[in-house]
Amino acid sequence: MKKKLLEIISLSKHFGGNTAISNVSFNVEEGLIVGLIGPNGSGKTTLFNCITGYYSLTSGSVMFDGHDITRIKPDKACRIGMVRTWQRVKPLGNLNVLENVMIGAFSKTRSAGESRKIALAQLDLLGMSELSSNTAGDLPIGLKKKLELARALATSPKLLLLDEICGGLNNTETLELMETIRIIRNNGVSIVFIEHDMKAVTGLCDRIVVLKSEQKLVEGTPSDITGNHDVIAAYLGKGYKHA
Amino acid sequence: MKQSVVVIALFAAVMAALPGFLGDNPYIADILITILMMASLASAWNIVGGYAGQFSFGHAAYFGAGAYTTSILLTTLNPGIPVSIAAGVLVSCVIALLTGTIVFRLRGHYFALASIAVAEIVRLTVLNLDITGGAQGILVTKVSFGSLDLNSKVPFYYAMLFLLLVTLGISALIYRSRTGYYLLAIREDQDAAASLGINLYLFKNIALVISAAIASVAGSIYAVYISFIDTSTVLPLRLSIEIILTTIIGGIGTLWGPVLGAVLLVSLAEALRSNMIGEYLVNTGMVSEGSATGAFLKSNLAHAHVLVYGIITVLCILGLPKGILGFFRRKGEA
Repeated sequence: MKKKLLEIISLSKHFGGNTAISNVSFNVEEGLIVGLIGPNGSGKTTLFNCITGYYSLTSGSVMFDGHDITRIKPDKACRIGMVRTWQRVKPLGNLNVLENVMIGAFSKTRSAGESRKIALAQLDLLGMSELSSNTAGDLPIGLKKKLELARALATSPKLLLLDEICGGLNNTETLELMETIRIIRNNGVSIVFIEHDMKAVTGLCDRIVVLKSEQKLVEGTPSDITGNHDVIAAYLGKGYKHA
Repeated sequence: MKQSVVVIALFAAVMAALPGFLGDNPYIADILITILMMASLASAWNIVGGYAGQFSFGHAAYFGAGAYTTSILLTTLNPGIPVSIAAGVLVSCVIALLTGTIVFRLRGHYFALASIAVAEIVRLTVLNLDITGGAQGILVTKVSFGSLDLNSKVPFYYAMLFLLLVTLGISALIYRSRTGYYLLAIREDQDAAASLGINLYLFKNIALVISAAIASVAGSIYAVYISFIDTSTVLPLRLSIEIILTTIIGGIGTLWGPVLGAVLLVSLAEALRSNMIGEYLVNTGMVSEGSATGAFLKSNLAHAHVLVYGIITVLCILGLPKGILGFFRRKGEA
């Protein structure tokens, strides 16, 4: 049995009378890539916002690395090793690519020289070195997504929460990024991964959690999920009948 | 960083030698002292407004708190100028922290609004207390500092120059440090900044306190220099706004923008106030003195410096959104 890195226990989130997430529980074990899928509005991004402290939970709790982090602040979440990217990208628009990544790296070092070194290494890993001095706000969407990833990795996280990191990328870019994510996992970072691209999800994830109508529908290995009739009916559509 | 140090050192050398070339003209000296003071204030504002993107509309409060604290101490206990300045810094930092700890929990324009409110609270409090002299203000006389002749303008020129150099040094140091990067990140996107481990609340407060401390020292030096302060000279909303305009017109978020803005705007204000521009237009025959325009300019242009600031600001925002310095920098890169 692997160590549980993240435990989500009966998490619910209401906005006034609207329920966004209802009683969702699942664990992320160390070293795994967990896919979080579900139709639009099923609460995937809201779940990320709850885990990382952008929203306060209505009920339930969250444990990270053995500590209760239910009421954690977003900046603290990053400092204890849990970092997220944004579905709607949030580049530090007037700064250049290197500066964006350096700001991530500063969470582990106070020295500007050291953080520059970490940032350059990170950009190199993602094949973005030649973009270092480009203004972040001027990048096309695909590169902005990669910048999100580079910046998050520079904080040297234990757990990486990726919110539709492949959105806006073409097929080749998606495949490349999948490979990169696999390398990141092999370097010891656990990953939770919100995605709509089923090829990416089934190809990459060790486990998949399916949300539907604010609740957890089912959880299992990719083959469990693609064979599950409820999931096919709820989400995957006819194309995956024989998956 | 090295580049900034060299440029600041060059600037220091030129400015230190300047009085020697200009001779003993009190009028010019006064303008230069005002330029150095506005440059310090704008540079200080730039740390919280330009780097961290938190617009303070109440920096006069810190300037005034420094001026009043120093003046009150010098005219009562008289612990000497350095202690009186330090006490002013302490008072300003407390005001800054009271504002920041409450308002920086919120995002958006609340800080801008609260900063105006706090500045007005400070102004009205000072206006209604006995210790501050109320509407009569405070006469700061019989002050001495070693063997310096405080009736001369020279010590104040060097004091303001020293303050500006320290401010520029601090700005350059912050800009290239983790704190500076964090402030820029907060300006660009607060959610993203928090997700990267930045304590928004802490770093906004740090920026505000540093900025307030510098503004306070400027106020203290000014009070001793001018020998008389009241709320309309050291605490007006107009001063807060001039500090912002100086920074925006010069180049917000840059090291030298606030200095450039101060040189331009103080000179321009003086040229207008002394009616130099109005008289020039008439004397060169560009506008006839007998005409309605000529008469209007001659009698009214002198009072119009705030109006002219306003027009320049609008033009800058439309044409040079990154200020004059930002404009040239962009041209240089292209």
